[in-house]
Amino acid sequence: MANILVLDDVLDVGMMLRRILTRKGHQVHVFSDEEPAFDHARKNPVDMAILDIKLKKMSGVEVLDELKKINPKIRVMMLTGYPTLETAREALQLGADEYCVKPIDIDELEEKTSEILAKG
Amino acid sequence: MSALFRYLHRRSFQSKINLGLALIIICFGLLLGAINYAVSSRAVLREALMRGEMLSMNLSARSTESILSMNFLRLTNLVTEIVDRDDRNDLVYAFILDRHGQVLAHTFRDGFPVALLHVNPVEDHQPFGMRFLDTGRERLYDFAAPVMVGSTRVGTVRLALSHTTIKAAIDRLMWINLAATIGATFLALFVGSLFARTVTRRINALRHSAEQVVKGNLDVQISPAPDRNCWEIMNCTEQRCPAHEDRLRRCWYVAGTFCPDCSAGNFPDKLDDCRNCTVYCRNSGDEIQSLAESFDFMALTLKNHIEELRRSEGNLARQKQLLNTILDVTPDMVTLQDVELIYLAVNKAFCRHVGREESEIVGSTDFDIFSDEQADRNYHEDMQILLTRQPLSKEIMTRGSKGKKWHHVVKVPVEENDRVIGLLTTARDITVVKQYQEKLIHSQKMEDLGRLAGGVAHEINTPLSIILGYSQLLLKDFPPDDPVAQDIEIIEKQAQVCRKIVADLLSFSRTTEQAALPMDINASLREVADLVEHIFRQNRIVINLHLDDRIPPVSGDKERLKQVWMNLFNNAADAIGMDGCISVTSKLCAHRRRLVVAVADTGGGVDENDLDKIFEPFFTTKPVDKGTGLGLSVTFGIIKDHGGRISAISPVPSEYMDVSPACTGESGPGTVFFVELPLEGNELPPDECIEIPKKET
Repeated sequence: MANILVLDDVLDVGMMLRRILTRKGHQVHVFSDEEPAFDHARKNPVDMAILDIKLKKMSGVEVLDELKKINPKIRVMMLTGYPTLETAREALQLGADEYCVKPIDIDELEEKTSEILAKG
Repeated sequence: MSALFRYLHRRSFQSKINLGLALIIICFGLLLGAINYAVSSRAVLREALMRGEMLSMNLSARSTESILSMNFLRLTNLVTEIVDRDDRNDLVYAFILDRHGQVLAHTFRDGFPVALLHVNPVEDHQPFGMRFLDTGRERLYDFAAPVMVGSTRVGTVRLALSHTTIKAAIDRLMWINLAATIGATFLALFVGSLFARTVTRRINALRHSAEQVVKGNLDVQISPAPDRNCWEIMNCTEQRCPAHEDRLRRCWYVAGTFCPDCSAGNFPDKLDDCRNCTVYCRNSGDEIQSLAESFDFMALTLKNHIEELRRSEGNLARQKQLLNTILDVTPDMVTLQDVELIYLAVNKAFCRHVGREESEIVGSTDFDIFSDEQADRNYHEDMQILLTRQPLSKEIMTRGSKGKKWHHVVKVPVEENDRVIGLLTTARDITVVKQYQEKLIHSQKMEDLGRLAGGVAHEINTPLSIILGYSQLLLKDFPPDDPVAQDIEIIEKQAQVCRKIVADLLSFSRTTEQAALPMDINASLREVADLVEHIFRQNRIVINLHLDDRIPPVSGDKERLKQVWMNLFNNAADAIGMDGCISVTSKLCAHRRRLVVAVADTGGGVDENDLDKIFEPFFTTKPVDKGTGLGLSVTFGIIKDHGGRISAISPVPSEYMDVSPACTGESGPGTVFFVELPLEGNELPPDECIEIPKKET
């Protein structure tokens, strides 16, 4: 049972991720804006975050940096439709656990999630 | 008279001067002689007459006493004495008469001629009387003087002077005169001819020089060198002065001399200031010397002019030669036509183009050289230019034995004095430029396509991931044998197809950085070849590797390059279908700055018009259900990301054909793909790789 934060500028993607992960018994909060997501992370203990890279105001890498400042123990999976070597390198340096490319298969997502959560 | 003038006209200058001088002196001599003769003969005569007078009067005085005393002896002595004592021998006779006219004494030896008595009567009051007598034998001047005692006349004295003797004296005088005149004439002729010779010698020298000049020898010097030159007279040390050390010309013939008194102009304008110059006063001569100096100056000026002319002539010839060389060597075709469109001049390039000799073309028109249709088109176009005076610039494409050729044609009307006199046409072969242009347009198109495809793919990616996610989610909610589950499975399968397409499109368009690590191109080629070998063998397709082991490691994304080889091999296999060979060659280009991987197949080949399109997304010649038309696009994208280039040629050039025994069977024209990769850096060197044959267009 984990507390998972999903941040994606397209709300439907977030909703789908929530459907998939809720089925596995996780508690999932979906955001499409950065600020409410930070608020949530500050107020609630979040085990893991799934971040898109292309967001409305900031980049996913910046959000990752911010979240790590709020909660250094947070686990992060980057999930993007625009994979680049640059962002991948930066994200991994900032402590992201996975760097996945959309579209992702359900099985892969479930597997990666459980792997990340198992580390913590 | 005119014959005389003509004769005189032909004589030499010296003869003319001599003749003129002689004429003048003889005339003057004769005139002076005549006057002299007249004057002196009169003086001689007067003196003779006066003598006669004196003698008669003297005799009269001396004989008075003897007449009175009638002393005849004494009287005879007196007359004999006067005749004998006469030192001039001109007294012919003398006699004395008494007052009655009787002869008292006489000097006649043969008796007294009575006729003489009454010929010269003299009155008492006259001192004497004189008569000129002609006796027949001789001519005489007869003098008579009365002998008076007081006022009484006692007798008459008569004596005669011989005219011949007086005449002889006068004649002698005349001869002396004549001799003096002749002597003076000869002296004058001698002096005159001396003078004339100096003049004629110098004139002859001038004439000789003129003849030399006519013969072309301009190094003539007639005027004598001055004994002191201008710089010696003026104590001038100005080495830069053009007159300094110029011993051939006088300084007033030289322009731009440095003397403060010299004016700036050229000869003869500057001469006005020279009149008072010491140098001029000392070195200038008479008119003939001036003429000689002017002549020398003229010859020198002429020589300089001729040399200048020769130089400019040589220059012109060289210029012409250069121009001809330029026109003949330039690969551009250059022609000049007149207003009738007849060729006036053509260069070698044009001759080569139309395959005719220059002599054949010059003088003919387009109708003699080109096809009727082409000539007619040219004629109308050219006439339009000549009428409107508007130059024309266009690009034309011709198809000949050597394939497609592009020419950039410029036609310019040639105007002179506001009148069109011809048409200048130049044509440059721009086939290579055109090919580059086409290549550039093509790569631009590929870039635009990439951007478009990438944008579309990105936009589709998110909705597609949602569709895929939900279909997979739903699939888990239904038992597998449920019909709904089977429906959803189809949705999921097609969504996966879409996902593949989107991924390929992204791969084609991506220009992001890659994992650049040193890698062995040959190793990756072998790896992929091993992988596909088994599958290809089922269709009896053989892969032959001809790899150059000298290729150094290049930096690249190994996985993505493997995908490139995979795509190329699959593409080759698809082109072959069944039975065939795939020949893979890797080698270094000259200069070792890039490597080339060539993948040749023995398949059906690609149509020439399709060659440019095969890298475009969704372009495929395969059946609808086989392949998406993205394989080569992805390959293109990956190679571009590596800074390389991919191109294709069909049919396969002989040097890339596989000659191994298994491949010599029945086969199609085939296609060869060239992948060029830079050995260093992220960009291909600018030079072309000669290992890759040019596409035949």
